[in-house]
Amino acid sequence: MRGIPESWIQRVVAELRRPVRFDEEFDRNVMTAVRSMPRHRYRAWTRVLRPRTITIRPLISAVAAVLLLAITLSLGHAIGTRRASVASGSGDTTDRGGSLRSRPKHPVQFVLVAPTARKVQVVGDFNDWDASHAEYSAQHRGGGVWSVTAAVPEGHHRYSFVVDDSVWVADPTAPRLLDDDFGMPNSALVVEGGDLTR
Amino acid sequence: MRAGRSVVGAWCVALSLAQVARAQLRGDGRLAKLDSTTRVAVNVVVDSARKARLPTEPLIDKALEGAKRGASGERIVTAVRGLFADLRTARSALGPSASIDELNAGANALHAGLPMRNLAQLRTVSQHAGRAHVTLPLTVATDLVSRGVPVGVASDVVLSLARAGLRDADFTMFQRNVRLDIEHGADAATAAQTRARGAVLHGGRAT
Repeated sequence: MRGIPESWIQRVVAELRRPVRFDEEFDRNVMTAVRSMPRHRYRAWTRVLRPRTITIRPLISAVAAVLLLAITLSLGHAIGTRRASVASGSGDTTDRGGSLRSRPKHPVQFVLVAPTARKVQVVGDFNDWDASHAEYSAQHRGGGVWSVTAAVPEGHHRYSFVVDDSVWVADPTAPRLLDDDFGMPNSALVVEGGDLTR
Repeated sequence: MRAGRSVVGAWCVALSLAQVARAQLRGDGRLAKLDSTTRVAVNVVVDSARKARLPTEPLIDKALEGAKRGASGERIVTAVRGLFADLRTARSALGPSASIDELNAGANALHAGLPMRNLAQLRTVSQHAGRAHVTLPLTVATDLVSRGVPVGVASDVVLSLARAGLRDADFTMFQRNVRLDIEHGADAATAAQTRARGAVLHGGRAT
């Protein structure tokens, strides 16, 4: 600031620092003018198309990405399970966890001659091979004959007798299976619409 | 404040991942009876079956049977894998429209030694004879083999019966008669062939 005296500069600065006071009328006039201006309305598509600047925090975006991955995996698993149960074959061939368990049941009589037995149970895929089901516990009818009549869903089944909680015995009168993966083979049972076929 | 939000976010992520991992590993709730190593191995086979659009229930059922019989984990996994392979072969032989019962019976028949081509033949012959399902013929064929009838004879016999249009009740009667003959001392193959000839001669009525 060559040539300008310091005192002048100080006077200009002091003048600029002095607060400018407007009267109330001025404020009102300005606001009235602003309100009278046409409003700028954003439509939905304008909001979407309007360019924006987005700030991303690395941690938050990583969390969001992992959450998205987790949700996708969960959905994939759920859809896969659903598809398999619906499409494993032809509509009728759903897994037993689904419709096979809800197939109509028909009474089936299981008979085993076991004169020395103290307890006889029927286990099979229809009761998850669980010998504790009272419904499948055979009664001694006398003369070594044990029998129980239980409801079994329609379809092809594998089953066995469990004698005295320890010995697995295939039904000697039923078709046999050679599924001896765990020792003794099982028996086959085909239940069809009210018709018992063993 | 930000740190708190990050902790909550990380916690949510961990929970979600844990949930997904648990769902993948746990699979069917009934398999909880198996030890963790066996359960994971069985679930892998079950998932493979699901992806191949094969029924998973027979596999779970096989694992449950093994657990109830006190079989070792290794034996259970081997059995489940074997069944998976048989189910896949059975579907190839019986076609994509095969029901879960047919696949089950087909897998059992394959396990008993019946060749895949015989299953396919049985399907074709049965369709020509107007039979909708081959579950029982396959079950009877498996039974014959289990009672000592040679695989070739068992296949031929069941095919001839299916060709003659035997109903399920006739198949059951045939199986019962052959079993009784064998129990009375008859040669297994001879009993099966003789009873089959009788059933076919009687116009599809088992003797």
